[in-house]
Amino acid sequence: MGKGFDGEVLVKAEKVVKSFPGVWEHLILDHVDFDVRAGEIHALLGENGAGKTVLANILSGFYTLTEGQIYVRGRPVTIKSPKDALRHGIGMVHQEFTLVPPLTVAENVALGLRKYSSFSFPIREVERRLRELSERYGLRVNPRARVEDLSVGEQQRVEILKVLYWEPEVLILDEPTSVLTPEEVDDLFRVLRNMADEGKGVVLITHKIEEVKKVADRVTVLRLGKHMGTMRVDEVDEERLLKLMIGDVEPFRPTRTRVKQSSKPVLRVEDLHVVGSEGVEAVRGVSFEVREGEIFGIAGVAGNGQRELVEAITGLRKASRGRIIIMGRDVTNRSPREIADLGVRHIPEDRRRTGVVEGMTLGENMILRDYRSQPFSRLGVLNLKFIGEFTQKMVKEFEILAPDIWETEVRILSGGNIQRLILARELWREPRLVVAFHPTYGLDLKALRHTHNIFMKLREKGTAILLISEDLDEIMSLSDRIGVMFEGKLVGILDAEKATIDKIGKMMTGIYAE
Amino acid sequence: MARILRRLVWLGLGVVALAVVSILLQPYGLRPVKLIETGLLAMTPLALAAVGECINERAGMINIGIEGIFLLTAVIGVYWAEVFGAGIYGILVGGVFGAMLGALLGVLGTYGKADQIIAGMGLNVMALGLVQYLLMAIWAFPGIHIFPRELVLPRISIPTPGGLLRISPITIVAIAATVLAHLLLYRTLLGLRIRAAGEKPEAVDVAGINVNHLRIMTSALGGFMAGLGGAFMPLAWFGGLVKEITAGRGFIALAAVVFSGLDPTLALAASFIFGFAEGLAFTIVVTPGVKEAIPFHFVQMTPYILTIIILALFLTGKRFPKALGKPYVRE
Repeated sequence: MGKGFDGEVLVKAEKVVKSFPGVWEHLILDHVDFDVRAGEIHALLGENGAGKTVLANILSGFYTLTEGQIYVRGRPVTIKSPKDALRHGIGMVHQEFTLVPPLTVAENVALGLRKYSSFSFPIREVERRLRELSERYGLRVNPRARVEDLSVGEQQRVEILKVLYWEPEVLILDEPTSVLTPEEVDDLFRVLRNMADEGKGVVLITHKIEEVKKVADRVTVLRLGKHMGTMRVDEVDEERLLKLMIGDVEPFRPTRTRVKQSSKPVLRVEDLHVVGSEGVEAVRGVSFEVREGEIFGIAGVAGNGQRELVEAITGLRKASRGRIIIMGRDVTNRSPREIADLGVRHIPEDRRRTGVVEGMTLGENMILRDYRSQPFSRLGVLNLKFIGEFTQKMVKEFEILAPDIWETEVRILSGGNIQRLILARELWREPRLVVAFHPTYGLDLKALRHTHNIFMKLREKGTAILLISEDLDEIMSLSDRIGVMFEGKLVGILDAEKATIDKIGKMMTGIYAE
Repeated sequence: MARILRRLVWLGLGVVALAVVSILLQPYGLRPVKLIETGLLAMTPLALAAVGECINERAGMINIGIEGIFLLTAVIGVYWAEVFGAGIYGILVGGVFGAMLGALLGVLGTYGKADQIIAGMGLNVMALGLVQYLLMAIWAFPGIHIFPRELVLPRISIPTPGGLLRISPITIVAIAATVLAHLLLYRTLLGLRIRAAGEKPEAVDVAGINVNHLRIMTSALGGFMAGLGGAFMPLAWFGGLVKEITAGRGFIALAAVVFSGLDPTLALAASFIFGFAEGLAFTIVVTPGVKEAIPFHFVQMTPYILTIIILALFLTGKRFPKALGKPYVRE
């Protein structure tokens, strides 16, 4: 460690501004400075939406900057494409893998090699070079293995090798540890250290403070597109980093009426295990219960098993072990409809893909839950008159901005209005249990208050609410109890009165467990 | 590997079954050499189109319009053969015109983001009408056109124990093209990119290769080969042109593609089986003693029934490219 502090500055970004006009009004990156030196591991720390990936994408040529200047070894350069970036010695390993599963490792690498003729097949040479690189950096991969037979960790090594093949001087890795097991993370960090020792500059994008402390030499913190500072890791402690990363805003708390706490559980989850889409166990033994009239918040950084937990509870994903009990009935691995029929409503994470059918109209989307029951339909025939009136009522009550009920495809609505539609559809009939995933993400302040008020009203009437959010303010201001998820486990359950943002933040990043 | 082996076994059984039929028919005056000859002729357009389509589908494109390309290039091939005064030029023009149609479908299915099934179907339906119009417009005779015998591509005679086997040079081209297609797909970087484009176009894009250009190219290549096949039918096989000259062979070629699981060598094999069945039908219809016993129309059905049976048997458990038929749009 420490070798990198006086290394040559390989890449420097000066006052970088990035905006997406028409999509986002604020600046995604607001005059950010960043530099990477030879021989260092430089962590880029921040929450989701802080602009880490955007900055990395600018350096590696996937985005162009709006303002600012990039220097490579002191010379100003313009980077227009990933190929440009590679020519300047900057390579990036993305979070999403771009590997072709049925092809072998070497074939995947050969795909992008332009120095050979299209009609040649230099696969032996590629295999030989891959073995060399593999050995040099300790990245164990068999070049002849098919990618589809590899584990996620191995696939990531292939991605890294693919970039290393170009001999970049600066290697950027976007959240590389999110899909890895702890042992694989250690392996990866050893590889990164080898690269730095060889004089490369390594940029590690992460939202985990422990990783910064463990492997990085310097750290740059971003918050909402703003540069919060760059410092030596050995001169800063975790708490300071956490504060820079999430700020020290004290939560605003809506007035909460004291409800007579019922001890009757609506949802009980017992030692639940769920395997995620990547084949890795995403939920690893979670137990908790949500009682009548209670809001149970789950805090946690995205990708720590929240999605899989919600999918298991709502019947969208099979649980591999454990039990889910709703209203006293064991509904483990039952169909979503059976679960919904018990009075469970779901505000999904991905509103456009799972929340609505984008190609259908507002009116049609409004009845996706209730279309089978009277008076929405009768003997399989939709009662359009009633549905129209009902939708009209909901549009008014939830202030959905849409030109028309029957003509408007939901596709053209803004994210906030789609969310209002979903809230209206799921919450109008006082459910027994609401599973709400980022319910207010992207809503303006007014709509946010409105949603919070609905939640509070439902709570008073005895609805149990499971609230999953990355927004700590929201969790803190609404919940009666708060569970914190980290790496597929609930690291602790706190009473809202005793919870502080500091404590939860530490639990979220795995620094501290209750 | 086991799957390919199993397929080869089935294929072998098919050949044996057909051989048994032809031997059984021998007492009635059916000549095996004649049967193989017709089988190879019938195989050629199917194989050309199927092998080209294998490459195209590997890249993630579907050309359901092979039948249409067959029809149009048959007419256009004959026209240009008459203009140039030699069948070979007609076949080459057929290929070029097929490539243009393929490229058009390619542009529609990539930059145009069109539904490839509908685009191909459109081509098929358009061809049906256009061919009748062209026959009238060019030769002023409805539905049929007979051209001078000299325009028919000469065949190569190979002596065999059963007599002279006369095969078309285009048949040899089709077999050579199969080998080349195999080498292209599995032994070149271009082939690697084609296969990757059908499985995960993002990976090809990230590697700095234009997915759309690649797909338009394979679509044009597939069209070229189908065009050769289309012009082959009148100019190297039938010696005449009728408005329904293709008789659904474009769809049989597609069946061969599905059967092959996009492996060119298996596509050739399947084309041979289909061609052999057709050859059998042709031979039976003209063999005295047999043609009275089995109704003509029933015999003519054989290749199509065989297609259905083979598809029903082999359609399951096949792995096709993930991005097949989906336009690639960068996020």
